[in-house]
Amino acid sequence: MSDTEKNFLKIVDLKKSFGSGETRQEVLKGLSFSVEKGEFCVLLGPSGSGKSTLLNIIGGIDNADSGYISIGGDKLEDLGEKRLTQYRRKHLGYVFQLYNLIGNLNVKENIEVGAYLSDNPLDIDELLNTLGLYEHRHKLPNQLSGGQQQRVSIGRAIVKNPDILLCDEPTGALDYTTSKEILKLIGDINAKYKNTVIMVTHNEAIKGMADHIVKLRDGKVRLNEHNDHKISAAELEW
Amino acid sequence: MKKKIHNPLVKRIPKELLGDWRKYLVVSLFLILVIGFVSGMYVANESMMAAANNGISEYKLEDGHFELNEKADAELLSAISTGEKADVKAYYTDEAKAELDEKFEDEFKAEFTKEFDKNFATEFNEAFAAQIKSGLAAQGMNETEIAAMLPAAIEQAKQNGDYQTAYDKAYEEKYNKAYDEAYQSAYDEAWDDILTEIDEKYADAEEKYELNDPDFQPVPVKLYENFFRNEDEDNNNDGEIDGTVRVFAKTENINLACLMDGRVPEADDEIAIDRMHADNVGVKVGDNITIGSKSFRIVGLIAYVNYSTLHEKNTDLMFDALKFNVAMVTDEGFDRFKSDVHYNYAWQYINKPTDENAEKKLSDNLLPALMTQTVVFENGLENYLPKYANQAINFATDDMGSDVAMGGVLLDIFIIIIAFIFAVTISNTITKESKTIGTLRASGYTKGELVRHYLAMPVIVTLISAAVGNVLGYTVFKNVVVSMYYNSYSLPAYETIWNTDAFIKTTLIPLVLMFVVNLLIILKKMQHTPLQFLRGDLKKNRRKKAMRLPKWKFFRRFRLRIIFQNIPNYLILFFGVFFIMIMMAMAVGMPETLDYYKENAGDMMFSNYQYVLNSYEDKDGNVVTTENNDAEPFCMNSLQRKSDALNEEISVYGIADNSKYVNIKDLQSLQDGEVYISNSFSEKYGVSLGDTVTLDEKYENKQYSFKVAGFYDKSLNISVFMPIDEFRTAFDLEKDEFSGYLSNTEITDISEDNIATVITEQDITKMCDQLDHSMGSYMQYFQVLCVLLSAVMIYLLSKIIIEKNENAISMTKILGYENREIASLYLKSTTIILLIADAISVLLGSLVMSKAWEAIMLEYSGWFTFQISPVGYAKMFLFVLIGYLIVALLDFRRIKKIPMDQALKNTE
Repeated sequence: MSDTEKNFLKIVDLKKSFGSGETRQEVLKGLSFSVEKGEFCVLLGPSGSGKSTLLNIIGGIDNADSGYISIGGDKLEDLGEKRLTQYRRKHLGYVFQLYNLIGNLNVKENIEVGAYLSDNPLDIDELLNTLGLYEHRHKLPNQLSGGQQQRVSIGRAIVKNPDILLCDEPTGALDYTTSKEILKLIGDINAKYKNTVIMVTHNEAIKGMADHIVKLRDGKVRLNEHNDHKISAAELEW
Repeated sequence: MKKKIHNPLVKRIPKELLGDWRKYLVVSLFLILVIGFVSGMYVANESMMAAANNGISEYKLEDGHFELNEKADAELLSAISTGEKADVKAYYTDEAKAELDEKFEDEFKAEFTKEFDKNFATEFNEAFAAQIKSGLAAQGMNETEIAAMLPAAIEQAKQNGDYQTAYDKAYEEKYNKAYDEAYQSAYDEAWDDILTEIDEKYADAEEKYELNDPDFQPVPVKLYENFFRNEDEDNNNDGEIDGTVRVFAKTENINLACLMDGRVPEADDEIAIDRMHADNVGVKVGDNITIGSKSFRIVGLIAYVNYSTLHEKNTDLMFDALKFNVAMVTDEGFDRFKSDVHYNYAWQYINKPTDENAEKKLSDNLLPALMTQTVVFENGLENYLPKYANQAINFATDDMGSDVAMGGVLLDIFIIIIAFIFAVTISNTITKESKTIGTLRASGYTKGELVRHYLAMPVIVTLISAAVGNVLGYTVFKNVVVSMYYNSYSLPAYETIWNTDAFIKTTLIPLVLMFVVNLLIILKKMQHTPLQFLRGDLKKNRRKKAMRLPKWKFFRRFRLRIIFQNIPNYLILFFGVFFIMIMMAMAVGMPETLDYYKENAGDMMFSNYQYVLNSYEDKDGNVVTTENNDAEPFCMNSLQRKSDALNEEISVYGIADNSKYVNIKDLQSLQDGEVYISNSFSEKYGVSLGDTVTLDEKYENKQYSFKVAGFYDKSLNISVFMPIDEFRTAFDLEKDEFSGYLSNTEITDISEDNIATVITEQDITKMCDQLDHSMGSYMQYFQVLCVLLSAVMIYLLSKIIIEKNENAISMTKILGYENREIASLYLKSTTIILLIADAISVLLGSLVMSKAWEAIMLEYSGWFTFQISPVGYAKMFLFVLIGYLIVALLDFRRIKKIPMDQALKNTE
């Protein structure tokens, strides 16, 4: 593995605060860690630990006050708005806690929203089968269960075969069984497509299926370790 | 004591108003503009109408007028004043009796004597011979001797005078006896013949003047002399005639004028002229003006109460304040002119009618009285015009009335459009805030409290807009409307008065409309349970399937989904654009229509000049002729096509064989009663080939029916064409009689005295000139207003569409879509709909305007079809598009501003 691949996602002394004066709140207080290419990384931490802020900065939709992030050697702080858009377009897939599907598009079209952005998208019908959504492809999001909607959201993120798949509490709104199905799906995708997965969660149990665990608290990295005893999603319990 | 806690929902209202102040400002400006203008229209209208109505008594407005051939004597005026019909039959009888008495005796005596003399001499000679014979027989002569002696005896009697004495005696005795016996019977016979003839003549008159109307009631009137002269006007004293001025002598009795500037004339070289005409031709108090080749100094500008619009003739399609003027001079000034005086008499009813129907009835009863009285007083009725039918008096007030009605409808439609825009916005807000609403409902807030909360915004905005709009209506916009009216009409000075209708129409009705439309939509939306609100489950049918779309490109399908998602918005957009396009069609089409007719007036006249003569013979009985080789005699008569809406004057032409001006190929081969009619006649009244048209004499109860055999396209007037000989037969004219000459060149060798009127291209275009002058410039403002209105409406609707999709837009940004791609999705779908709505609305709006125009024209004399050129259609299309493009730029900015974390905070 090359050095670039080893430090595929590199976070260096990242700081971020909100508000000003007395109301100023420092959310990230100098974070630093790296993620390898193809790694399944879980960001753990309680509410307010800064994990979603970090994910937004990695996703190029928020800026750090200082420090930087580099992906594949490119520093995000150096990118203008246009390049950031291109960065998100070409390299990132995003899975949200509340799916964020486009309500007036059906399942297949929601996935096409992602496919359109890629020069070399995955086969949508094949992906629909993989996601178990083929028979639901003409349905609107409001006709689907939460798990199905999250599958669509994953499909939309993965269809362009992104380098990094960012997942923000993807099981936060789902029941236990569905959550495990979704986690399995993400794990399978990671294994199949070799995308780097950064998953934000407050569910400690999920760390069992991760290659790399980063724990945040009060805006600082409290734990940064690799998991040598990775288990499958099915084996997770909480 | 505990401090009372204010309803937090109420406290939220100002914050919401400020939070989205741009939207509310735009809506308010839109409402203020429309309410202000309509309010100004109502206020100006009501104030000016009040001034006009006050003017009826203040300026002693006539109830009607008529013109006589000759000045009426006191006896005729007195007879007309009674309102009683003259006994035409008695008049005919008396006239015949007097004539009989005057002529019969002499004629009878001559005839009788001739006849008597013829027989008497023979009879007397026989009797005289018999008498001589019997004398000779008495002397004892026999027959033979008597026969021999008789001639000598008669000769001797003649010589000694016995014969003559006997002759005279016998003649006198017999003549007188026979005369007395024959005279009476001959007189009676002649009188009987005359009575039969009078009966026939009266039967005609009875029918003609409806003399036997059982409902006839005498209408007493007070009559006033209101004589005038029509003089040429040269308003810049350059020797060129600029128009016609109708000059009245100053009077205190009837049809007074409101003095708008300066003073009334005092000297014989002073004149006061119509205020609007003065404005139009650029003359003012202190200027000199040439009237009837006499110089006058303008000392005042006036508005005659009976000329609120300057209609030269009542049948004119449009008033003409450019080339027609009315003026006031002193009695001495009036006598300076040499032209014929028009013996015009105005009347006022002694018993005032209560409404227009009563007025019509009075007028209908006065006319036969007037006609019969002029017959028995051997005068002639030239013109009869009751007030209700007088365009110069009624046109302005009628027009102002229809302006207000139209303004009211416009406002209602605008308010409904705005109400729906509001309703859609609120509906979206409720969807967005469903969780909050659910929480409030779950906490115990009632549905009513929430409905009131959401209703507050449109009601407050409407109330504020109505208040500001009305303030502007009473100040700024009123002046705009007043200046528009003063630019078209000669109205008297006015005072602004409070207008209840304006308040109802511009405040109450908009509030009610806004309230009702929004209440219905909000109530419907609030039907959901608190739980449904908490879950954000407000869709009517959750399980509704997505419509399958064809396998188009992804972006195309995406746009189609956006269109389906926003159908209500796009429907409002369509109706809004359509409605604005109707107004745009007027704003673009009216100037084009006027230009079209001005440019094509020449082509629509069959000759450059139509000289209508007073009579085909001059005073000495010689036929009026011309050396001009272009001249072609023609016949013309004005009949009426009667209908409830309008009694339209129709020109019926008799055209010479092989006419070089009216080219109708088979005109001479028309059958009896067949005619050609002008295209304008056919279009206006929907007359088809083979139809029969029935036309009436104006002041007689006489009808003519013609069968339509074809159409003639070179006549702008509503006209009928027939061969000249047929015309003469139809209208009982002499064999060589005609009405005037058609000519392409000016005829200079016919005396002015013989010419009644000359119709030129200017007469056709004067209506266009006047309309152009009155409304032309406003149409450009109107176009700008339409562009603004459409832009504002599109802005509000597209704002709703973008706000509704903010999360999706934010989401696509996160996914890596560029702004131009997002704009291509969300703006292009609106653009497509807008383009379709724009194109359809151009056609539909023009069609509706064209139909509305036709309906309007049916109430006016003449016919103009609504014209919009291809360039005009393009302009209409582009005007709305330009408005949209500005909005699209704003929308693009709005899309760019939607933050990416929007999607992270909210969910669909």
